Amino acid sequence: MGKVMGMETIVIRGRGAIPGIASGPAMVCRETIQGWSGIDETTGKVIEKGHPAEGQTISDVVLVLSGGKGSNGWSSHFHAARIRGISPCALVLPKIDSRTGVAAVVCGVPTVVDLQEDPFKVIESGDLVTVDGTSGTVTIRKASHDG
Amino acid sequence: MHLSEEELSILDGQGGPLKRKALEFIVNYATVLGADSLCRVSKAHLFCGAHHYLKAVRSKDMDEVMSEMWFCSPDKIPFDAVGCFSQSDCSPVDHLNWSKMGCCEDEFRENERYLDRCLKAGVHLVGSCVPYMTGFIPVRGEHYVTTESHAVLMMNSLWGACSNADGIEAAFCSAVCARTPLWGMHVPEGRKGTHLFSVTCKPETVEDWDLLGYAVGLRLPPHSIPILAGNVEGADMIRLKSCFAAMATTSGPELCHILGITPEAPTLAACISPSGLEDRVEIGPRQLREAREILCDKQAGEVNYISLGCPHYSIDQISEAATFLEGRKVHENVTLHIWTALPIKAVADRCGYTKTIEDAGGTLMVGSCPLVSERWPAGTRAMAFDSAKQAHYIKPLTSAKVFFGNAGECLQASISGKWGR
Repeated sequence: MGKVMGMETIVIRGRGAIPGIASGPAMVCRETIQGWSGIDETTGKVIEKGHPAEGQTISDVVLVLSGGKGSNGWSSHFHAARIRGISPCALVLPKIDSRTGVAAVVCGVPTVVDLQEDPFKVIESGDLVTVDGTSGTVTIRKASHDG
Repeated sequence: MHLSEEELSILDGQGGPLKRKALEFIVNYATVLGADSLCRVSKAHLFCGAHHYLKAVRSKDMDEVMSEMWFCSPDKIPFDAVGCFSQSDCSPVDHLNWSKMGCCEDEFRENERYLDRCLKAGVHLVGSCVPYMTGFIPVRGEHYVTTESHAVLMMNSLWGACSNADGIEAAFCSAVCARTPLWGMHVPEGRKGTHLFSVTCKPETVEDWDLLGYAVGLRLPPHSIPILAGNVEGADMIRLKSCFAAMATTSGPELCHILGITPEAPTLAACISPSGLEDRVEIGPRQLREAREILCDKQAGEVNYISLGCPHYSIDQISEAATFLEGRKVHENVTLHIWTALPIKAVADRCGYTKTIEDAGGTLMVGSCPLVSERWPAGTRAMAFDSAKQAHYIKPLTSAKVFFGNAGECLQASISGKWGR
């Protein structure tokens, strides 16, 4: 269960998959992002037509993503972007799958997976999120409380 | 995680630096997944070639590029040997008709350089997305890896073989160390159906099955395994390869049970999750119509590029196209490409289908496709595909109109130069 600390900070727990700590604004994708034609590897922008995050960039965000779909080469698009210096600073994957699992290894950023509660009910895009991939915790400061 | 003595010795470097690096990646991947151990892989289907995404590494040194992009190694480790039976997936270049794709000789030679390295490492250069039609046929329970999303669905679903959709880096690493995490599709409890799709439309043609797969995928949440039931008796390998290519475009399943047809679904009770179905969905004629409306540009008009063969055509499909084209001429403003695998083209050559297609003005292409090559003729203003996968993915990449239809419509348009139902 999540723990409310005061009014602004929420902690949810999962399994630490890749160790390390990183913080950044959340980019919440309840919709999966497709492989081919999903992310522009040179800009990090989501280019999937009609995707709720179309036009937003994965660069330096805490990417909260429901899973992968489409091409088995899904991870390679994150890999090619990372080589260009474009990468999420951390990953929150509510339920791990094979596509996102390889992408997490390729990105090598702090990652928490298999969360004990639904992060989509807690995290909104723009919230400041700290991911501790060593302890398996995700700490959320709600953007609306940041003034 | 439990590792065998052999695996520990590989991690200790006793199999050489490449094998060690590859196994390190697989162990990291298994850790992320939460797997307790690894399993032995007997087959690997690999995305070989000088693909566009490799350009992210700004180096002319092929070994540096392969090391980083295939094995996640910043240190250069030459790709010198695979550890299991391996075939190549599509590359960005047709090695026979590269100039007809708009490739220059340098691009052709660069691709050959990559493929030659793969060949020397032990990869058979089949160059196709349909490995199951070219000798790569895992049996029930056999563990394999593939870089082609619909091929996972085909081989897991139709034969009960075991692979996850784990991507290019994991596939190359698995090919070298012959291991993959024992997780997901590799364990029986990961293979149970979660969503029942009642097919109330009557899918008959390849196009119907293509649209069915697209429509199912649009309604399938992540981490789900669909069960198709109802009007599924017309399923065959050709229809299912299109169905699964589309399904793996709009969603990410690695297995699709078909009630009464696929081996793990003799009955509904045999293939559903112990926790029961998460949802029931009906797919009727309206859902297929809606899928087609998404895929096909509404404004009919001239068309100047027609591409057939995603997934790569079978010999039957090539024969049907040749029969249609016999005695006809492709419109002077139209380029017609029909894509297949090299071994299948050899049969088409032998049977005279290739010549019939060429006499009409089309070309039987091998080893690639517009999506993988990211190429279509310069100046294309409107293109048509008999593949939901191609139409879906190429739309965002072009300002040209994109049409989707059945093979007959596409071939008719190649003659008339016009699209319109």
